[in-house]
Amino acid sequence: MGILELSGLVKNFGSLVAVNNFDLSIDEGEMRGLIGPNGSGKTTVFNLITGFIRPTRGKVMWQGHDITNQSPDAIAKKGIARTFQLTTLFKDMTALQNLVIASHLHTETGLFQQFSRTARARKKKREIEERALCLLETMGIADVKDEIAGELPHGHQRALGIAIVLATEPRLLLLDEPVSGMNLTETRDTMDRIKMLRDRGITILLVEHDMRAVMHTCEKITAMNFGEKIAEGTPEEISGHEEVIEAYLGGRLDLCLTAS
Amino acid sequence: MEFVAQTILNGLMTSSFYALIAVGLTLVFGVMHIVNFAHGEFYMVGAYTVWVLYALCNWPFFVAVGVAVVLVGLLGVIAERVIFRPVQGNVISGFIISIGLVFILQVFVVKVWGVGKMKPVPAAFPEILNIWGVSTSWQRFIVVPATILFLWLLWVFLGRSGLGRALRASALDSEAASLQGISINKTAAMAMLIGSAMAGAAGALMAPIMSVHPYMGHSVIWTAFVVVIVGGAGNIKGTVLAALLFGFLHTVITTLLDSTIANLVSALFMLIFLAIRPQGLAGYAEK
Amino acid sequence: MLRNNLSKAIGLTVLAIILVALPFALREYYVDVVTMLLINVILVVSFRLITTIGAWSLAHIPMMGAGAYATALMTGALGWPFWLTLPLAGLAAALIGLAMSYPLVRTKGFAFFVASFAAGDAMRLCWMRFKVPFGGHRGLTNIPFPEAIPIPGLRTIDFSDAIPYYFLALVVTVLCLLIMYRLDKSRIGDTLKAINSQDSLAMSVGINITQYKILAFVIGSFFAGIAGVLLAHRLWAVEPQQFGFGTTVYLLVWVVFGGTHTFAGPIIGVTVLTVLGELLDPFVEWVPMIYGAILILTLLFLPDGLEGLPRRLAWLGKVKISFEMRPGEIRQPVGLPGELREPSS
Repeated sequence: MGILELSGLVKNFGSLVAVNNFDLSIDEGEMRGLIGPNGSGKTTVFNLITGFIRPTRGKVMWQGHDITNQSPDAIAKKGIARTFQLTTLFKDMTALQNLVIASHLHTETGLFQQFSRTARARKKKREIEERALCLLETMGIADVKDEIAGELPHGHQRALGIAIVLATEPRLLLLDEPVSGMNLTETRDTMDRIKMLRDRGITILLVEHDMRAVMHTCEKITAMNFGEKIAEGTPEEISGHEEVIEAYLGGRLDLCLTAS
Repeated sequence: MEFVAQTILNGLMTSSFYALIAVGLTLVFGVMHIVNFAHGEFYMVGAYTVWVLYALCNWPFFVAVGVAVVLVGLLGVIAERVIFRPVQGNVISGFIISIGLVFILQVFVVKVWGVGKMKPVPAAFPEILNIWGVSTSWQRFIVVPATILFLWLLWVFLGRSGLGRALRASALDSEAASLQGISINKTAAMAMLIGSAMAGAAGALMAPIMSVHPYMGHSVIWTAFVVVIVGGAGNIKGTVLAALLFGFLHTVITTLLDSTIANLVSALFMLIFLAIRPQGLAGYAEK
Repeated sequence: MLRNNLSKAIGLTVLAIILVALPFALREYYVDVVTMLLINVILVVSFRLITTIGAWSLAHIPMMGAGAYATALMTGALGWPFWLTLPLAGLAAALIGLAMSYPLVRTKGFAFFVASFAAGDAMRLCWMRFKVPFGGHRGLTNIPFPEAIPIPGLRTIDFSDAIPYYFLALVVTVLCLLIMYRLDKSRIGDTLKAINSQDSLAMSVGINITQYKILAFVIGSFFAGIAGVLLAHRLWAVEPQQFGFGTTVYLLVWVVFGGTHTFAGPIIGVTVLTVLGELLDPFVEWVPMIYGAILILTLLFLPDGLEGLPRRLAWLGKVKISFEMRPGEIRQPVGLPGELREPSS
């Protein structure tokens, strides 16, 4: 049994079938790619896993427990974190403040302490800020800690988005198109960082449109189209899979596995 | 048995009244995503128009009603252009700005015709109507066929005419509609025209029965809001259903107890209903 | 940085001196006006607290009424001392707010408006309808003023007089503002603003939005209740009409006019409009219309309210203002009041 198990997931929006009988099993420590053309249901699957949408049918099991109909904050507490397709940040706060808020799960202090000025409260506050700073350093953006998030350059915003997710100390990380719109260097840097996270023991499910990013980094890939799984296997198997090729281009995929 | 028949009759009349006002409100919300708090004042203007033209100037009743409908409709269009268009899309601002309009209309009416004694409007149809063994005056009953007429006209308009379809498209998805060439401003103006006209009609028809005074809008607007919310804001069918529900609820409780308790029960009913089903009867998700 | 703190300190000291000297310079009628202003300051700041989460509660004035009625009943029927009923009545309002928040928290936008109004008005209808214990339409009268405090060696402070009551209100107001200010600047305040900014992101980092919404509503209701207590013991009477929608509209105008993005905005709004109200006293019938016009004009031309004025003027190029952002200061999203963001999913 994988650490994350989706069985028979179905999601209908009225008469539109967004996800149809979708199964997925991810083992702990795996880095899994989820690919598919636009509209294939990838983001819907994300939303179903993280509790933003309720499935019409089917189950989501996490570490052996059924988390199917739980709220997003409860699921976050259980160790699943996600990014959003468009960079979602607390745009009017500084980068540091964003991370302080994002550290919510690990900084529970009582109501009274949160706004009192006792030495203990201040110590707590310092700890939280140090932790936030550390996360910023991990993502390489510590120098912009006091800048307003909404005014940061795009690449920094992306990095901050990932830092926010890390602040929750997840065991499973769902990344929704983390490198879309990035150039080659940025893509490589980001994917390296993601690999670093996997090496630290975080299980990763990566949705991405950019084939190279996925093929290079994921051990196993699941392909979707029209809300259904059409293929699953290693990058080599997937790149040669007929249906996958058809789904994306209707022709041969030039994946340039060896090119940089 | 007679009691039941009387209650059904009263309930029907109350429901029609609620429906006439609430449907106009829900139409405006569905298209513009704005709640016009001054809808109650439009109702009041309709009543005052009939008072001035029919009671004071002795015009024929239905002519006075007709003028009221047109006048209030135009008032709605002006309001849309001047105060609602700039805050398009922002629910809270639209609501608050319409409160400003409420006060302006109220003070205007107070200044011109004074507050104090209610304006009496003689009944246009004092004849008694006998139905199901109970009786009421035609004046009270007329709101029922009038509402049915208005709703039917609305249904035809929305379903069959090009303009009506544009209105529905705009309500469903204003961005997509504008991409198709449907002018958002035009549909907004249309919605305000029809919705406000309905409020004016309600006021005009009820003038002989209700007390006509500057603050009469206040007593109906909150009931209208409750009906719209429970019906599902923006959904006409749901609103009509909710109007029936609350019309009968209010009638029964007022008959058995009193109207203050009826208002209380309606409010509580709405709260409990929302706690269980926030989208309202129609399942229209709050946008 | 230091210069900023110094000028702030000077400003506050000057304000403090004015506030302490004021009642001795005014006629008694105006002392009461300022007392009412203080009560309304508690009201608007607590209302603004609820707006930081994007909710514009039309139940706020009835909550003030809840505090007022609670203290009236406690000091009247139960005979408890004011110094006890002040916090208890606030607590009563908070508990009622807690009960109300269960249906309310599930609603958004227009539905929240109407539901919050209905909840508040349901309470008011109860006060109107039931002579026992609420006194019905007439309300409750003969509310005692706070017990006198004898100061050994000096005279006794008698709270039936305007000036002592003013100072009582002043102390309570300052305390309330301090608490709410600390709250606003704390992580709780930041969390509330974060929820208002991006609620799906907030949820995905484990923040339970519902809990925080309820928290904001309950705290706001508590302070509204406190304001109600101060009101009740100055007017010595409460009646349902005081807490109807008409009063709510005044609240909305104060808040919209002053702005809700900063802590001080609503305070400025209510102060300016109260002064204006006194100046317009001879034209009292026109006041609702003027308020209506202010509401419309503010929303059309100055959507952030008065607090946005420096920015607007700077933008128009008429006044050169340096608008620094100091690290740690959160700027709330500039926009029309209550731009509710729906979950992006």
